[in-house]
This record gives sequence, structure tokens and C-alpha cells, in this order.
Amino acid sequence: MTIQNDTKRRTFETHLLLSKRRHAMLPLGNQKVGDMKQKADVLQGTLALMVLKTLDVLGPQHGYGIARRIEQISGDLLSVNQGTLYPLLLKLEHEGSISSEWGSSENNRKARFYGLTRSGRAQLQTEAREWNQTAAIIGRFFEAKAEDLL
Amino acid sequence: MKFLKRFFKRLANVVARRRNDQRLKEEVEEHLALQSEEYVRAGLPPAEARRQAILKFGPVEAVREQHFAEVRLPFIETLLLDMRFAFRMLAKSPGFTAVVIVTLALGIGANTAIFSFIDGILLRPLPVKDPQQLLVLSWSAHARPRLAGHSDYGDCLNLARDCSFSIPFFKRLRAHTNTFSGMAAYAGPLDYDLSGNGPASMAQGQYVSGDFFATLGVNTIVGRPLGMPDDSPSAPPAIVLSYSYWQRAFGGDRSAVGRIVRLNNISTVIVGVTEPSFTNLTPGNPVDFFMPFSVADRIRSEHWRNSDRLSDPGVWWSVIVGRLKPDVSLAQAQAAATTMFVNETTHGPTRLLNEADAPAIKLLPAAEGLDGESSQIAPMLFLLMFAVGLILLIACANVAGLLLARSGTRQREMAVRLSLGASRARIMRQLFTESVLLSLVGGALGILLSLWGVNAITALFSSGYQAFPFVIALDWRVLLFTVGVTFAVGILFGLAPAARGARVDLTPSLKETASSLPGSAAHSGRRFRLGSALVVAQVALSIVVLIGAGLLVRTLSNLHNLNPGFDARSVLLFGVNPAAAGYTDQKTAQLYSDLQQRFAALPGVISASYSEDALLSGNWSSDDVHLDGAPPKQNVESARLAVGLNFLSTMRIPLLAGRNLNSADFAAASAINAATTPPDEVASKAKASNPAAAASPAISKGKLAPLPVVINETFAREHFPNQNPLGKHMSDPQEDNEPPVGQQPGYVIVGVAGDTKYNSLRREIEPTMYMPLVNNSAHFELRTAADPLALVKLVHGVVSGVDDNLPIFDVRTQTQQIDQTLYLDRLVSQIASAFALLALVLACIGLYGLLSYEVARRTRELGIRMALGAQRSDLLRLVIHQGFWLVLIGAAIGTAAAIGGTRFMSTILYGVRANDPLTFAGVAILLALVALAACYIPGRRAASIEPMKALRAE
Repeated sequence: MTIQNDTKRRTFETHLLLSKRRHAMLPLGNQKVGDMKQKADVLQGTLALMVLKTLDVLGPQHGYGIARRIEQISGDLLSVNQGTLYPLLLKLEHEGSISSEWGSSENNRKARFYGLTRSGRAQLQTEAREWNQTAAIIGRFFEAKAEDLL
Repeated sequence: MKFLKRFFKRLANVVARRRNDQRLKEEVEEHLALQSEEYVRAGLPPAEARRQAILKFGPVEAVREQHFAEVRLPFIETLLLDMRFAFRMLAKSPGFTAVVIVTLALGIGANTAIFSFIDGILLRPLPVKDPQQLLVLSWSAHARPRLAGHSDYGDCLNLARDCSFSIPFFKRLRAHTNTFSGMAAYAGPLDYDLSGNGPASMAQGQYVSGDFFATLGVNTIVGRPLGMPDDSPSAPPAIVLSYSYWQRAFGGDRSAVGRIVRLNNISTVIVGVTEPSFTNLTPGNPVDFFMPFSVADRIRSEHWRNSDRLSDPGVWWSVIVGRLKPDVSLAQAQAAATTMFVNETTHGPTRLLNEADAPAIKLLPAAEGLDGESSQIAPMLFLLMFAVGLILLIACANVAGLLLARSGTRQREMAVRLSLGASRARIMRQLFTESVLLSLVGGALGILLSLWGVNAITALFSSGYQAFPFVIALDWRVLLFTVGVTFAVGILFGLAPAARGARVDLTPSLKETASSLPGSAAHSGRRFRLGSALVVAQVALSIVVLIGAGLLVRTLSNLHNLNPGFDARSVLLFGVNPAAAGYTDQKTAQLYSDLQQRFAALPGVISASYSEDALLSGNWSSDDVHLDGAPPKQNVESARLAVGLNFLSTMRIPLLAGRNLNSADFAAASAINAATTPPDEVASKAKASNPAAAASPAISKGKLAPLPVVINETFAREHFPNQNPLGKHMSDPQEDNEPPVGQQPGYVIVGVAGDTKYNSLRREIEPTMYMPLVNNSAHFELRTAADPLALVKLVHGVVSGVDDNLPIFDVRTQTQQIDQTLYLDRLVSQIASAFALLALVLACIGLYGLLSYEVARRTRELGIRMALGAQRSDLLRLVIHQGFWLVLIGAAIGTAAAIGGTRFMSTILYGVRANDPLTFAGVAILLALVALAACYIPGRRAASIEPMKALRAE
């Protein structure tokens, strides 16, 4: 979390993912998890739907592709937090909405491609419908003027 | 579904210890590479492009943690981790852990076992369909009805009212009711001679009305239940076996149904076997078989010289139960039944009561009214319930105190964690895990203990020669409750360190000097006060239990050491019932004297006799007599026991004056008996399981000599003070409005015997007369030179030599018989003593734990004291002084509580007052000694502190 400010450091490799922290026998816990989780929960509700829709429209994509697409359409939603996409992808995969496999990207590098499963497609349809209904209701509600209600 | 899928995937990862770090790393790497390329294409230099890509990606460590949290199940993993840690912490202090676990287990086990008994015996729902609807009838009146006969079979023991009714009343009520949807009557159980299935044996049979099974909703598992057609005088005799008797006597053979057996020599067919859940309506009255009332004429059992008990409204002997119609209120039904009852008793063919006597019927829920044997056990069980409840409190206080003391020693640990950044919630969670673990192990052990306890107490109950008539199963609701209580206590006090830890100023704790600095010891001080209060409470509660147990033990020893007035050692007892085997009264007398001579001739038998009931068997009969010279109609009640020749000498009851009953007396009695016509007087209401009809001499043609009787000392003292009772005459009771019918020979006193206890050791000795036994069933008494039970085989041989069809039953020694009457007292005093011991041990563990903790906490202070010149004995005294104060306060509170509480026990006590100073003092001394020992060990530890070590230790 301190990485953003740490602009001097160049050896990113050593900072990324390599701190093999194991659980100490004196359990202290992570105090910051709570805050982040809250933000993530709000984000994930819409983000999951966006991911599913992206895969539905574009077909199998790697994480970066999905992130780009969402960024294109939603603007700033993922601009600083592309990373949060990955735990979400894993969650969707665990739930069976998407599946993943290794493939090679445009520049012939090894990349993981995510694709919509059949249950994922069904889920997308129901959620899209629910979303539209909710949006329509909220929309009407906001459009309603005082005289309409009289 | 989705959630489950996700859960199992993650669980699989946990089990496989998969982390997916590599995958994430590669994905992120790819992501960053693609993003960087994009930036490069946009014109950034490569290094800056990568930096921007990383910025855009966001906090990697957080993503990694989130990702990991998604891969696995962090909640469960933390829990497992916490548990591992908890195990280590508990294993580090095995003494503490063992004591807490054992305390929890004992508290849970003892409570569950006792409450299971209460549930099984007192709260047991009746084993019938819709038991809450079933009502039992009871009656009351201001005067005693003039009955031709009255019996009860221990169905409504606890009621001040009576629930015996005549069969004609039952039939009339049933025929004319518009308030009951179903009614049934029953009477018994009584002893029957059942043959045709192996050797002749005695079985317990109960009369039931034809609609008994239908009304109760009880089914048979084999064959059919009895029905109305079986209850007609012309129907062939049919019986239904109880499930347990079927298993016991017929080995569960299905072909038993349809078999013909001989019941008191009458051919009877077995038509069915009841379902296992139904034993009898009245708890603790075991029944072997059920038979319709209609066979009462044919299959005679007890000595009812009046054969008319099915049609005589003056013979009250059956219990009536019924179910209300759905829209009828209790009051309506009660009023309707009362109207009929008044009609029956005041305007019937014989006037039994006057209207002024206000005869009335009351309806009671059957489960409440029909208490039977359970009413005897109830006070004992409530006492044990109280004791065991105190044990639970002590156990909880003990666990709380120990956890609290321990929390002090963990203050530093908590401080370290807090300072390293652990949240309070996280520490709570860890402590919670520890407490739950502790409670879980204690609870599991407690369940095992309660299972064992139920079996052990059932075994204790069954150790008498009579079977324990209740089936006790572990009560899971109680188990849940006790486990819940102990869990709550464990968790509440287990979290104490967290509550304190969060408040403490970390620095002194970390310096580890907090405990020895007076200023910062505020928290410890408060803890010590709370801990002290818990110890005081434990001591007080255990004093109450100890005193209660002490009183019970003294009661039992008083009863044991009581001289019953006869020599109970080396006497063999057994019953015979010649009437059931078809003997007439005349032949019975012949049989008895024949058997008596043969028994007396057996090697090892000193003398032999017999009596209507064995002494101290619980059975009791009495008669009213009118003393000559007393005002008219002023009768006195006297217990009566019909006995055989040489009874007094065989039982070694001293003869104080006059002479023993001799054979001439027996001849006279036989003459009176032979001359009797249907009696107008049957045994007065005796609460006996085998009610015996009175052999009241009655009318005859020609002048009869009065019946010679021997009275006891109490009789002579009460009714013939300063007179010689010998030769005095007493007549039959003089009743209101009833001139004596015919000739009543009355009684003549020929001797005075020493006082003996009659049916129960607790009962005061009452005026008693011994009279010749010339009819009825009898219990033989053989005074033997050696072990009485060694003679059993010979006795069987003698009886079958005389008559093969004559079963003997209830073979036991007089000592066993007395033990049987004392079994409840013995049982309760044993269990209560065990509880008292438990309470004492728990309280001392609490005391010991508190003081040990105090000594550990004050090590430095004690070291300083010693360095400044305190003697070891001073330190020892310091610790013991502290502990002993707590004991004194606790003992004072406990004694005060006991003085207030033990008076509720006074009905159970015998020969000792509820506030017996000796018991109180004994308990106080015992507690003081044990508490002193509990204080001494930590005191020794304090005294053996090496000052240098103590000062350096922190």
C-alpha cells in the first residue's frame, strides 16, 4: 500500500508479490482489511456485472483486456485500481460464472484468458434484467416532478 | 448454490494448501507488460511507462491479500490457527486446564444426571395418547363414608383426597355422562398365582374396565387389547400382558398370545401384549398383566370375603380416569360428576354419607393426581436438585475464578500483542477460541460423565431387592442447558484478559513491573476483589451442601442404628399366598401349621413363624376398637398384625407381661373366622400395596369367645395407664346410627409385648395388637443359625413337597427388607455426600487457585519483604491469613444460609434437628481443616521464595 508513494524504487520485481509473509504464531491480524473490503464490496457488485458483459461481448479475454474495456466504457472506475480485478476474477471463477485457461497474448506472451461459462451467461442475463428494472424504476423516480405526483 | 460451489473450491485449496501465488504473479506481470507497452506506444520512455503501469494497477500487496483471501478461507484458517495456539497455551499450564475441564465436566455431568431423574420420575408424561387431556377423579367429604370396603393401591399418594370409587358408581357415571368423551376405571396391581408357563410364579395383575385401552389410546404390539366384550360376566377370562412381563416371562415369544395360562387356578387366555411405551398409568406401580373387572368374581386374589365388589356401591376400590368432551369445561364436568356422586352416596340403596357431609368430586390432571411411587422419591429428588444446582454455581464460580486469576498472568502477553498492532477484536477472538475450546472439552467430558451418572444412579436405585420401577434416559434439554451455562461462564470470564488488556497502559505491563508497583496494581486489586468474592461464594455454597449432606448422613445412621424392637439379624423372609392357589381358609390354617413345623425342623433353623405382613415391609393395617368402659362411640385406632404361633419368640420381641398366643387361641380365632358372615367392616384405609381385609370377627350363631390378642407396650401405656391390661376386653368399634348387628365377640388381652417398629423405621410406634392369623396370605419368618439365604433351596423343597402349585415370592432376609425400606434414604445420603465432597474440593481448588495466583503476582513484593528481614513464617502467615479470612466470611454466610435452608429438609430428617449444632460444628471444622491445607500449599511457596531470585525475576 505504500508502493504508490515510493517513487524512488526501481526494482519492482522484488516488491511485487515476493514478500513471502507467513503467519506468525502470535496472531495479530491485518487491521486495514476491514476498510478495503468495504470499498471493494461496493465496487464488486457493479464490476462483476461489467466483467461478465465484457466477456459476453468480446469473447475470451485476459485480465488486461477486460480492464481496458471497462476503462474505455466506464472511464475512471478502474483507473487506479486495476489490480482489484484479479481477486474478482478468481471469485467469479470459483462461483463457476467464468472459466480460465492459459493462452498467449497478442505479443505472444503467456497470458490467462477468461471466458464466460454457460451459467455465467445465464447469470448475466438475469442480472442485466434486474439491473435494467432497478435502473428504470430509479430513473422514473428521479424524473418524477412534484406536479406529476399530485 | 453459487456460494457453496465457491466455498468448496476454496476448501479444496485449503486442504491442498494451494496458494496460487504463481498464477497471480504471472497474470500481474502480463498485465503490467501490456499496460507498459501501451504507454510506450503513447510515447513514454520504457521506465516511466512501467512506473505508470504499476501506479495504475494499484496497491499490489492489498490485491495479493485480497486474492489470497479469495483463494482460501481465511476465517477458517485463522480459527484453526487460533485453536492450535489455544491448545499450546492450555498445554502450557496443564494444572489449570485439567482443573477447569474437570470442574466443568463435573458441574455439567452431575446436573444433567440428576435432572434426567427428575424428568424421568416427576415430569414424565403419562404413556398414553394426549396425556394432558386425561383427568383423574378424586372425592372429598367432611365425614368418613360408611363403606363395606375400601382399598387403594398407592395411586394417589400425595393427595389429601382419595381416588377410590365403587364399580357401580363408575358404571353409572359412564352411562349417564354428557361431559366425558371417554372413561375408564382400574384397580390394582394385585398378586396372582400364574401357572401354565413354567413353574408357578406370582405376577402383578391389574383390573381394568373394558374401555380402558380405548380411552387411554394404548395399543398392543401383538394380539388385541381388551375391549368392552371382555368385560361382561359371561366372557371367557382374557388378559393382556405388559411388554416387560412378556419379555421377562415369555422371552418375547409371539406365540404367547393365544396361549392358555392358569390364573389362581382359572383358565385364562392371553389375547395381547401392550406396546413397550405403556407400563402403567401410575408411575412406579409395575403391572405384569391387565384383566377385565368382570373376572374379579372368578379369579379371586386378596382376601375379600365380600365377593360383591363389582356390584356393591359400598366397596370403593377402583380409580376412575376420563377425557373431557372438547367443548366442556373442567368446572362443568366437575359439577356434573359431583351431582352424581352426591346422589350415589346419599340416596343410594345404602346411605354412605349425609348431604351435610358435602361430598364432592374434584377432577385433576392425571399426570398430577396419579403420582404413585414418584411422590415418595420427589422430596428426595428435589433435595438433590437443590444440591446439584449449588454444585453448578460452585463450578461456575470456580471456573470464573481460575480464568480470572489466569488473566492476570497473561496481561503481559496481551500488552505485547496490542503493541504489535493487534486489534482488540482480534485478541477477543483468540481468547474466545481458547474459552470455547476449554468449554468444549469440559462439555464433552461432562456428557460422558452424565451418561455414566444416569447409569450409576439407576444402578444404585436398583440395588434393593425390588426392581427400580422407572426408566431413566439422559435428558438432552438439560444437558444443553448446563452446557450452555458453563459455556457462557467460560466465555465471559475467558474474555476478561481482553477487557482488561485493552484498558491497561501498555508500558508498565511490558516492563513487567506492573504487578509489583503499588500505583499500577489497581486492576489486579480489583481482580483480586472479584476473585475473593468468588471464593467466598464457593465456600458459602459448599458449606450449605456439606451441612445438608451431614444431616442426611446423620439421619441414615440414626435409622441404621435404631433398635426396631426385634432382632433383624439372620431372619429369612418369604411370602406364600395359599388363597391364590385355591386354598380355603380352613385349609390355609392347616397348611400354615404344617409348613411351620416342617420349616422348624430344617437344619439351621432355630424357629419358624409367619405373619400377615413382614415387619418393616411398608405394609400396614389398622382397626378401630372400642375399649370396655369408654364412652359410647368413642373408638380408638390400633395397628394390627395377624401372626402365627411363636411369632414373638421367633422375632425375639420380648414378652413383658401375660402369655404368648397359644394353639388354643388359634382354635378360637378359627372358630370366629368360620362363623363370620359377609363382613360389614373391611380393613380401614391402609396405605398399603397389598391391602388386607380385616379379619373382624362378626356375627355367628351361638356364643363366641373373644379373640385373644397380645398388645404392645405403647397400647398398654396409652390406653391402660396404671392398670393391668391383662384380661381386659375390647369390643368392635361402635358406629353412628348403626346398632351392633348380631354377636360381636371382641378381643381379650392375654399378653403385653415390647414395642417394635411396624411398617417403617421412621414412623412413631403406635398402639398395636397381635392376633392369631387364620386366613389370608402370609410371610414366613425363619430364624436361622447361619446365613439365612443359604436355606432358600431347602425352603423351596419343603414348599413344593407340600404343594407343587404353591409359589413362594419375595424371598429376602429381614436385613435386606430393612435396607429396602431405607434405600431412598441411603441413596440420597450417598449422592448428597458425594456432592458435598465435590463442593468441598471445588471450593478448595478455588481458594488454592486464587492464593497461588496472588503469590505468583506478589513474588517481587514478597521477595522485598524477605530482603527487608521478614521471616519465612511471616510470609506463610501472611498468605494463610489472607485465605483464611475468605474462608471465615464464606463459612459465616454459608452457615447463615444453611440455618435458613435446612428447615425445609426437616420432613426427610430423622433423629436430628434441621439446625443440629453438632453437624454444623463438624462441617465447619472439616471445612476449616481442608481450607487450611489449600492455603498452606501456596503459603509454603511464598515462604520458600528466594529473595534474590524474586528480585531478579522481573
